[in-house]
Amino acid sequence: MTPSPRRIVSIFAWLVGTVLAIVAGASSATSLVEFTESERYFIESHGPWPPPVVVDPGNRFSGDPRAVELGERLFSDVRLAAVEGMACEFCHRRDRAFTDGLVVGVGRQVLARNTPTLFNLAYNRWFGWDGAADSLWAQSIRPIIAQAEMNADAGIVRRLFETDPIYRTALSGMLEIPVGELGDDAVLALAGKLLAAFQETLVTPRTPFDEFRDALLSADMARAARYPLAAQRGLKLFTGEGQCSLCHFGPSFTNGEFANIGISHMIPNDGVDRGRLAGMRKLKESVFNLTGPFNDDVTRANAVGTRQLRFRHTAFGEFRVPGLRGVAATAPYMHNGSLATLEEVVRHYSELDMDRLHVHGGQILRPLHLSDEQIGDLVAFLESLGATPPGNTSQSGQVIEKQQYDGHAEQ
Amino acid sequence: MTFYRYPIIVLWLLAAPVALAGPETLAIVDVHIHYSHDAWQSLPASEAVSMLRRSNLSKAFVSSSGDDGTLSLLAEAPDFIVPVLRPYRKRGELSTWLNDDTVPDMLRERLKSGVYAGIGEFHAFGDDVELPVVRQVIELAREHGLFLHAHSDADAVRRIFRHDPDALVLWAHAGFEGPGVIAELLARYENLWADLAFRSEHATDGAVDPAWRELFERFPDRFLLGTDTNTPERWYYVEDYAAWCRQWLRDLPEQVRQAIAHGNAERLLATVGR
Repeated sequence: MTPSPRRIVSIFAWLVGTVLAIVAGASSATSLVEFTESERYFIESHGPWPPPVVVDPGNRFSGDPRAVELGERLFSDVRLAAVEGMACEFCHRRDRAFTDGLVVGVGRQVLARNTPTLFNLAYNRWFGWDGAADSLWAQSIRPIIAQAEMNADAGIVRRLFETDPIYRTALSGMLEIPVGELGDDAVLALAGKLLAAFQETLVTPRTPFDEFRDALLSADMARAARYPLAAQRGLKLFTGEGQCSLCHFGPSFTNGEFANIGISHMIPNDGVDRGRLAGMRKLKESVFNLTGPFNDDVTRANAVGTRQLRFRHTAFGEFRVPGLRGVAATAPYMHNGSLATLEEVVRHYSELDMDRLHVHGGQILRPLHLSDEQIGDLVAFLESLGATPPGNTSQSGQVIEKQQYDGHAEQ
Repeated sequence: MTFYRYPIIVLWLLAAPVALAGPETLAIVDVHIHYSHDAWQSLPASEAVSMLRRSNLSKAFVSSSGDDGTLSLLAEAPDFIVPVLRPYRKRGELSTWLNDDTVPDMLRERLKSGVYAGIGEFHAFGDDVELPVVRQVIELAREHGLFLHAHSDADAVRRIFRHDPDALVLWAHAGFEGPGVIAELLARYENLWADLAFRSEHATDGAVDPAWRELFERFPDRFLLGTDTNTPERWYYVEDYAAWCRQWLRDLPEQVRQAIAHGNAERLLATVGR
């Protein structure tokens, strides 16, 4: 019997479909990298995301919608600076992931350090590249009064709060005493706390990595297999051989501490950036640190870290380990913006100059001498910490105290 | 002014130099300085010596990757720089020198000048000391009457003394060991000195930790100070380090303070005939 043309087409279609199904099945079966138990532990530790909303007990306005609104207004307010046309968002641009895209920041003068992103700050323990602040609100005061940056003072801030009807009206309902009766430091602390309330709301969205992590943990391999293979291989290096997860730990991909990774910390024509060492000194001397009078946590439980801070020589030249969520959008990299791309960052780690790191015995950092393909894989993984999967929406969890989150992240 | 006030003025004048020579200007010998090629590229020798002098150091032990850095500082300040010969020609030889059999000949050639007080700082841990290159370095130090500046663990230090019981060893960073192990080794080897470079745990806010105080008072003649300028940036830390040392040294008895600040370094130099 000779098959009809329709029959031939139908058999051909079946054959094509079967072959495609086999290929797809084979592809699905081989599109998951095998992870060790240790690697899976670290993968799990990098979530869930987004984490619960954090309330800062040191900032009485933390989580207060009125403060968030005022803080956002202040963030864009050019009257906050004694430099024409400057506001917080002058350097922390919304269209650049709250960075400026420059090698180093430019305020009233050219600065020595790269402008960091403002995303996910609510989960930090220390603030600034050198950790000179122990709260987001204290850190927010620094650029306002820094001569090289906004060059303002308490008088400028007080005048703004008193003369602008929106600030004046809103603050009259939030404060026990009028702004005009607050001392200089109290006015600055108020501005810092409003700005912090706004910045705490800046949280990066879920990413392809989060989809993969959650799928892997729930053994949904078909869903996990949607995560690109290059990113999976990069993740394996990141959590395994590279040991990156030891410092870039937890849901925010940072242990919140400081490290020296062999990046030069000379300042061109201006000596050296002492990094964390100077940050510790500044923090201890600051009237705005958490041991001081402007900490709203009457228990002072949130000041333990500051009280326990101990001098160490190794702090010289250390800088804060940055979180990595959204990292592809925050180039250039390092405290001084000296590495232009993620590929340069990975190459730096790949060819670490061990003589620059003071090493004795076991070490986390060591040159991996990665191949070009491995470098590409790590970059693919890092990029997957930023792209938002289609149709995904960010959901916040329950409200918890900040210390609880810190404890959770360290476990 | 009445006459009876003169004795007070005389007493004040006599006391003034003592006050001025107080903890802020306490003479310090820094025994752990490197002036390696990336440092000399950014910091000329004259400026480097000025930085050391600005820190009120009375002497600086210098070893460099390569040794030409040390010699350039020596030429700048022969009365101030104590040259120590490092077995590294450049950065990056920290772990490869152990198996580089050209190192002993390079050292022999350099030692002909007779300017060096020691060989080091070198890195050797555990059974690294059994390698032929390290054994030859120990032998060269013995032949020339020099000390060994060893960045080593306790095991390696024991092995060095096993090979040469009369070796003079300046133990870099006191091996990053705790007071217990340091005490054990200092008690066992009378030719062992320990530098405190890169270590912070023995003092907090000017107060010496009790376990370390016991150690310093038990072995007052065996500890020395050092910044360790392992990167060019750390040259800017020499002054900070000296100030920090002067702060915690105040917490020790006068004799111990003077010994750790400079006396022990002078004694080590005298031991090697410098």
